[in-house]
Amino acid sequence: MHRHDLDLIAALADGSLDDETEARALVESCEECRAEHRSQLAVLELLGSTPRVGMSDLERAALHRDLWTELSSRPSKARSGRSWYRWSYVAAGLFVAVGLAGVITGQIQRYDEESAGVAQTFAEADSDLSTFSAEDSEMPLQDAESASGGGETAATTTMAAEEALPFPFAELADQARAARESGERSSPISSSEEDIDRCLLSAGLADEVVVEELDLDQRYLVVMARDVTSEPTVTFIAVDSCEIVYVDG
Amino acid sequence: MTPPGSEAELLARVVSGDRSAFDTVMSAHQDRVFSVCLRILGDRERALDATQDTFLTVFRKAGQFEGRSAVGTWIYRIAVNVCYDQIRRARRRPSESLPDYVDPSDPAAEAAIESAALRPEIEAALSALPTEFRNAVILSDLEGLSLPEVAEVMGVPVGTVKSRVFRGRRLLARQLGNQNTS
Repeated sequence: MHRHDLDLIAALADGSLDDETEARALVESCEECRAEHRSQLAVLELLGSTPRVGMSDLERAALHRDLWTELSSRPSKARSGRSWYRWSYVAAGLFVAVGLAGVITGQIQRYDEESAGVAQTFAEADSDLSTFSAEDSEMPLQDAESASGGGETAATTTMAAEEALPFPFAELADQARAARESGERSSPISSSEEDIDRCLLSAGLADEVVVEELDLDQRYLVVMARDVTSEPTVTFIAVDSCEIVYVDG
Repeated sequence: MTPPGSEAELLARVVSGDRSAFDTVMSAHQDRVFSVCLRILGDRERALDATQDTFLTVFRKAGQFEGRSAVGTWIYRIAVNVCYDQIRRARRRPSESLPDYVDPSDPAAEAAIESAALRPEIEAALSALPTEFRNAVILSDLEGLSLPEVAEVMGVPVGTVKSRVFRGRRLLARQLGNQNTS
């Protein structure tokens, strides 16, 4: 049966057609179509018989209370975390600058002496950043949102992943996995080999493959490991900028 | 310019900190958002959390609403994304399975929960569907969104939604048929 026929039968069953003539003729004309129509009607009837889902008054009241509590308390917490986060990067940057200045001015002879101290300082900064990053990855959505928008570098992808994204990348990742598992490609790849190689190299994913390409607000490469695994990591790369916009898994 | 009294105008007032405007928007959509979340997540407490996260996002991102869709559609899209996010996190932390929530101090709660539940055989059949089919069927056939609205919420073309709804119903029919014969 053609996809158009299936759409017609589904629309006839749920009553969304303005003009049912073509759909009725189709259903009359073939036994398979009649069976599909009956099946769709039966499911719709069953789904229609399910009761509406709702919150209790107490749940509703608790929702409002918790929401306003959250909105009142979280911004200050997010701001303080953010400020700390920015300073940690400033500090790390300063240490790098100091280290470079030391090398440039020829004070290499003191390297052994100083490097221990610098290494320790870097280790502390790195540890602090790791701690923040770990806390951040556990933060609920609202924190991730309020945390975004500064001078981020390495942590941007993690935070972006926690933010409410313009597209359901997690679902798209699941679809991409399913499509690959079943051997079908849901969205054709239209970017040139050169663009793909450039983006894979830029994203540090030269060993992975582009399994499909999505044309949403811009084009995104959907990238997975070359070897098929049961739950592969799916990476979305914006073709224009070659930036990783989302990592799933 | 958004017409005065419209939901888009209410959202504009939310941006300027109007709490009563936010309460109005929330009251209009909270039950449906909860319903969508409960049907996607299948767990009452997680659905309540997702509903709260949804409206936190609505409040914080009200300024980003561009009026290209209805306010409700925009909110349901946020809700579906919040649910996906929860599912993704739960996959990473499979031990975090929360029990159904019943507050004994609320006499209406238990009755509401009983009436809220899908019939078990339908719930089982729905949960066996692939995510994209299940969510298309939930939004279209249980929540009554139009196909363009479902497309907007799910971020896919209308043709894809049609196909998912059809195939979702077809799989449901098979699942339910198998349950009846087993």
